[in-house]
Amino acid sequence: MTEHPFTIIEKIVLLSGICISLGSFCFEVLKRLRIVLKGTGSLPLDRIGERLWRVFREVFLQEKVIRGRLLPGLMHGFVFWGFLVFGLVTLDHFAIGFEFPLMSHETHKLYSYVVIPFSILVSIGILHLAYRRFITKPKALGKLSPTSGLVALFIVLLMVTYLLGEMELQPLVWKINWWLHALLILAFLILVPRSKHLHLVLGPFNIFFKPFHQPDHTPVKIDMEASEEQLDEMLSNLTRMTQNQALDIFSCVECGRCMDVCPAYRGGGILSPKDHFILDLRQPLLETGDVDVLSQINVEAGWECTTCQACSEVCPVGNQVEKSDEIRRLQVLVEGNVPQEYQKLFTNLQNTGNTEGAISSSLVDRLPKFTPDMEYVFWLGCFARYELDPNFTKSVENFAKILDTAGVSYGILENEHCSGDPANRLGDKLTYAMLREHNMEQLKNSSKVVSMCPHCVVNLHKEYAKYGDISYKVEHHSQLIGRLIDEGKIGVKIGDNGKVTYHDPCNLSRMLNVVDAPRTAIESVTDEFFELPESGKDTLCCGAGGGLWWKKETVGKTHLVRAEQVVESEANTVVTGCNFCYGMMNQGLDPLIPDDRSNIHVKDISDIVAENLA
Amino acid sequence: MKICVLIKQVPDKDSSLTIADDHLTLVENNITWVSNESDNYALEEALQLREKHGGEVIACTLGKDSARQVLKDALAKGADRGIFISDSSFESLDVLSLGKVFASTLEKENFDLIMSGLQSDDQGNSQLGLIIAELLNMSHGTLGMGTEIIDDSTIRLKKELEGGWFQWTKLSLPASISIQSGINSPRYATLKGIMMVKKKTVDEINASDVASRASASNITVKKLYVPDKTKETQFIEGSPDEISEQLVKLFKNDIKVLN
Repeated sequence: MTEHPFTIIEKIVLLSGICISLGSFCFEVLKRLRIVLKGTGSLPLDRIGERLWRVFREVFLQEKVIRGRLLPGLMHGFVFWGFLVFGLVTLDHFAIGFEFPLMSHETHKLYSYVVIPFSILVSIGILHLAYRRFITKPKALGKLSPTSGLVALFIVLLMVTYLLGEMELQPLVWKINWWLHALLILAFLILVPRSKHLHLVLGPFNIFFKPFHQPDHTPVKIDMEASEEQLDEMLSNLTRMTQNQALDIFSCVECGRCMDVCPAYRGGGILSPKDHFILDLRQPLLETGDVDVLSQINVEAGWECTTCQACSEVCPVGNQVEKSDEIRRLQVLVEGNVPQEYQKLFTNLQNTGNTEGAISSSLVDRLPKFTPDMEYVFWLGCFARYELDPNFTKSVENFAKILDTAGVSYGILENEHCSGDPANRLGDKLTYAMLREHNMEQLKNSSKVVSMCPHCVVNLHKEYAKYGDISYKVEHHSQLIGRLIDEGKIGVKIGDNGKVTYHDPCNLSRMLNVVDAPRTAIESVTDEFFELPESGKDTLCCGAGGGLWWKKETVGKTHLVRAEQVVESEANTVVTGCNFCYGMMNQGLDPLIPDDRSNIHVKDISDIVAENLA
Repeated sequence: MKICVLIKQVPDKDSSLTIADDHLTLVENNITWVSNESDNYALEEALQLREKHGGEVIACTLGKDSARQVLKDALAKGADRGIFISDSSFESLDVLSLGKVFASTLEKENFDLIMSGLQSDDQGNSQLGLIIAELLNMSHGTLGMGTEIIDDSTIRLKKELEGGWFQWTKLSLPASISIQSGINSPRYATLKGIMMVKKKTVDEINASDVASRASASNITVKKLYVPDKTKETQFIEGSPDEISEQLVKLFKNDIKVLN
């Protein structure tokens, strides 16, 4: 285009600028990619269709960005969609500098009808985000970031210079404006890889590679016959990140959504998932140029995690944030640094196969024993078996009543040991291996297992499968109850339960993806059902997960945050689908219910269904 | 520094214990055996002293075959070797005779320090460490809540006194000291520690190896029983002032929670 001629000097300067800026960009990005590729395992390439669909939803549609924080999310969406629209404009801008425009004058004009509205939306979006970051200052965003201020300024100036460029300007003014726009883009390229704005580049890839199941910690396979050298190698690998984890660290956008949903952080604990599980590891990765950094995770913070996976669920750039498994297994297997109450728990598991160190269970005598002609193994779990909350025994009996009514045959295993959930989540992978091997032997002739404990279901099913093939299917009792209702095998009626809400257990909703079945069951017996503010896969942990049920003292009140929410919800009955949630609700609600309020009934799904059998 | 830690295998105090029909013993099948609680703290203290000053930690136990487990646990946590004293003739010995068996076994090792838990969770004699010290002519201290090695021949011991008081005392080495629970945070056996147990040695000692044979026990168990549980509820009536006055009296004189 001869309309705006560029001298040869200008072209050389422009070319040099592009080379420097792109060179710097590539150098920084490649430096990080080299570190990522040193990680253990590999980036997954299975189920590509599902992965692309996820990228479409979470990147292009900004699903998670907007879902968690509507207004800032939408503003971010404006900026993001604007960037997409600006892609062509930017390429064309530099092409014009070499007098080889990509678009004809008419096409440019036509395209500007799309770009101009977007440039206004981008400006509104980035100004709102800057206002939020520098004036409103939500705690989750962390300390003020000058880079973010600079980026906001760059984006606004890019929009302004673009809009000016679309006007009729004096050639000199046009040229100055053109150079300003070009230099801003080149400076932006230098800034991006050095800051959290690298998420622009890595975010889509990170979302693509994110594991489908949470949590996705590398299984620790222990060979007791291994040589000392093999053992040392296995142990030294425990401090190494996977490729996926390393990519997470560089993709983090530091938005703090993980903090907003973390029960430990919200309860006043020291754990901040954004800092302890992600940002604290970024500098060590860059400084060492290697992934041998997991020992840098704050140990106390690691013990506070309830392993509820809310942080990984909410992350808009596809991070699997939680790394308590990594730091805990290092503490247990390598350092021998384990809180005393957990040492007692592990000793109980080793000596008796159950969490309580109990020799017998009175409940076992009252339930039928499994024989091969029966359809289901009714897996009790330590909570029910050893009556960690004596009230829950009634729920077990209610589930048995439902099965009896439906004519489903079932029996319990006399030699059932703890599924190993607490040992697994607390990092004692050796005790876990012992329990797992025992239970797999017990279950080898079974085809169907049902349990009221989602922790047991997750382990018997998904976690055991990481170590070897399993021959049985495991389901949560809410799934079976929901099906029995759907198939008309049990008749139910609408009962008088007052206002009923449901607390989704994290193991059930986030780890097993069971969200609808409990609702099917509950809504078939009540017409006053309502959802809690955080429900389904966005549920808030009761505080018992990750072995915290056995922790005597915690900083803050992780165990009360959800109970407070239930009290505020004005529910008369709170139903849950996990024995640990049931226990935590019972413990948490009592002291929180105001004197002038009537009691809130805590029920398992089996209770509310069994009480309303037609 | 050559340190011996005495560890006893005891029934887990949190497990439900059932008294056998003979009213002299516990029903074995129902017992979960564990290392005595305060002995765990003694082991940890010994391991920390070794880490600071070098030397060797040797775990020693006396008991039935099942008691080998406490040695395995100690070796897994980092003890260098074990001594397993076992003989059916030792099973019913009183604490003085047991002291003689231990003294005879440990004498030739020339330990700088013998550490034991304050007392065993089952018998609660609190005497073994002291008896061994007397028999081997060592200095002794009890209720240890802190240790500090001054030099090759002196150790400082922080002793717990009554009423929340502590006292630091100097003992000449060799010494036998007993350790109170809570002095430290006992470690958990690492995976490497557990795997290395098979490479460590455990010396087996039986009656024929013990020079000064212990005589027969001077103590016999007459009856083992669970204390009766009683509830004493006292109703205090009167005006609020009278009730509070009565309560203060009760707290001071009967329950003794007020001075």
